[in-house]
Amino acid sequence: MARYEKILGNKIAAGLTRRQLIEVNACARCGECRMWCPVYAQDEREEITARGKLDSLRRFVDGALTESGRKDFINALYECSACGQCHVVCPVRINTHELWEQARLSLVNAGIPQPAGQVKQLAAIKEFDNPLGKPRNERSRWAQAAWEAGLLKSPVPLWRERPAPVIYFAGCMASYEPALQPIAVQSARLLQEAGVDFAILGEDEPCCMSKLRRMGDPAFPREAQKRADQFTRMGVDTIVVSCAGCYKGLYSDYARFWPRPQKVVHFSQYLDRLVQEGRIHLKRRTPLVVTYHDPCHLGRHNQVYDQPRRVLRSVPGVELVEMPRHRAFSSCCGMGGGLKTVSPEIQHKMAEARVREANSTGAEAIVTPCQTCYLGLINGVKEAGSSGMKIFHLNELLMRSLCPDIAHESVANALARTAP
Amino acid sequence: MGTVIQEVFRYRFHVLRWQLVQVEVVDFPKPWLLFHLMVGLSLGYMAFAFFRKWLGWGRGIGEAASGPRDYKRSSMVWLIEVFVQRQLFAFSFPRWLIHILIFYGFLGLALLPVAAIVLRAGGYLAVSNTLPHHYLHPEGYFFVKIWGDSFGLLLLIGLASASIRRTLLPEVRQTSNQLDVVLLGLLLSVTLSGFFLEGLRLASLPAEIVRYSYVGSLFSPPGTHTLEQLRPWLTACWTFHALLVAILITYLPHSKLRHSLLAPIVIGLNAAEEYKREDLYWPDMKKYSETRSPQD
Repeated sequence: MARYEKILGNKIAAGLTRRQLIEVNACARCGECRMWCPVYAQDEREEITARGKLDSLRRFVDGALTESGRKDFINALYECSACGQCHVVCPVRINTHELWEQARLSLVNAGIPQPAGQVKQLAAIKEFDNPLGKPRNERSRWAQAAWEAGLLKSPVPLWRERPAPVIYFAGCMASYEPALQPIAVQSARLLQEAGVDFAILGEDEPCCMSKLRRMGDPAFPREAQKRADQFTRMGVDTIVVSCAGCYKGLYSDYARFWPRPQKVVHFSQYLDRLVQEGRIHLKRRTPLVVTYHDPCHLGRHNQVYDQPRRVLRSVPGVELVEMPRHRAFSSCCGMGGGLKTVSPEIQHKMAEARVREANSTGAEAIVTPCQTCYLGLINGVKEAGSSGMKIFHLNELLMRSLCPDIAHESVANALARTAP
Repeated sequence: MGTVIQEVFRYRFHVLRWQLVQVEVVDFPKPWLLFHLMVGLSLGYMAFAFFRKWLGWGRGIGEAASGPRDYKRSSMVWLIEVFVQRQLFAFSFPRWLIHILIFYGFLGLALLPVAAIVLRAGGYLAVSNTLPHHYLHPEGYFFVKIWGDSFGLLLLIGLASASIRRTLLPEVRQTSNQLDVVLLGLLLSVTLSGFFLEGLRLASLPAEIVRYSYVGSLFSPPGTHTLEQLRPWLTACWTFHALLVAILITYLPHSKLRHSLLAPIVIGLNAAEEYKREDLYWPDMKKYSETRSPQD
């Protein structure tokens, strides 16, 4: 048994970097991560905290973790949204979220698969090029439907028919998920309002595959390389990404495969530029007290904090109040890192906690520039019951000021009417 | 065996200069064989344990060292994080104070022989072979005593405060496990036994010598004692202190105390990579204080 544990430990160690093996040993057990961990706040088990996981992983690679300890560690590793809060608060600066993702990969390479739900989702991503298992030819249906419903000023061109310097990368969820398609429509409309010469990839838009990295799938480097090569061949100038998860994938995760990540910008950053340049004129007052939810992939992971806030402040009538935990300390809504697939109830509780935090500020609505957080926070509102809190995507506030007829609900209704 | 007269340089405050004076060295029987065995084995074991860890780290994926693009800034980040511990300061002043007292207490005691070597090179310590001499024949001369007592005091206050905090605050008590308590107990025992040993040694010395050991003298047994009376206690206390130190050295690679060696490495690696992150390394203190944990 001890020999088996040693062999397994060696396999896990071989999948981590040397720096990560040092980090595993460097934990000071101060417990700061425990105080801030949004998952631990909902499920108070020591093994869930970064401190607990580091201790288990250290013993795992040393071949000293018992079978039950291994089970607890593996559960805890996947019951983590890899939000990176523990990295920000760690006095030793252990790069935790990178470590969790690498540990997941290492476990898979050692023959320990992800939880069943994640395995199923990963299979769908690899087979259909999207996590929803939808056919490729439906990817740009939102654009066609929006044009037919009169929601756009002009049809959105496909890049392969009319290459443009800017590509709008809607991402899988906004392309296929009916609740999120209005975000893609509003993004396209905003770009049209600003006079941006852009195109979409349509059927050629690939899934960013960042979920493969989040969940530790060994196919990620190969798939990422393919997509990086595709963008390089296209010679695009700027890729404007709507989803914070896709942004982290293309901007950060691809960095080692694609030496031109500067061409990737998040939609909120691009909007900020357009507003600053005076290309978007927000005139109509939208009296609303809002609070801003920093998506982990955008804020903590890529330090995009100020641009979305500047955009929000530029909307006439909008008053921004901050939650107690904001910017680098923003509490995760639980939608990242594959946590929702493994434990939807924890995600709901995390989002509920975030909604309650927002309620404490007196805000009427939570605004986020991430479509995944948007979905997650809606779960939180349902969980919180009669909180009265509204959840808005950043686009929504701009559209309310710019063209109120393109508000989320009316777009969703119009798209539903055109659905086959 | 007895009181040995030794000539050392001492700074005489009343004349404000260094003078060659005679001091009494309190000598008592010490089990040297046991001492060398304990210290040699524990140091050897610690080196072996870290060597094994080093080999274990070698199993991982090697990454090309890219190095920071801005050495000045990343070095500044490292210095501030390690020596000022700004991260802890931003979160909690009491925790920062406790940790900084323990950190500088240890650092000061560790640097004592280095400082002694420097002073000897400058001609201020007239003892040959200063480094082992300081450890094996603690004469009680002024520099070593003031330095040692001051940093020992920092360490003692830090450890005592950490123990009180860990015992009295429920949220801290909940986060502690048995190993945390064992380590804290061991560190406190080493520090206290060191001061008790010093107090015993000072018990037979005249006040003029004792005054430099302003903390150790507080640990002297009350009343007047001859060296003959104290000798068995001195031997026992000396042996016990050495044993505790040997245990601490042996336990270090297996305890969370290894962060004292590894944390500066990890902070350095991260600073080389993320030195530009203003949300991590140069945060606005106001923003930090506004974003407290709900548990605070």
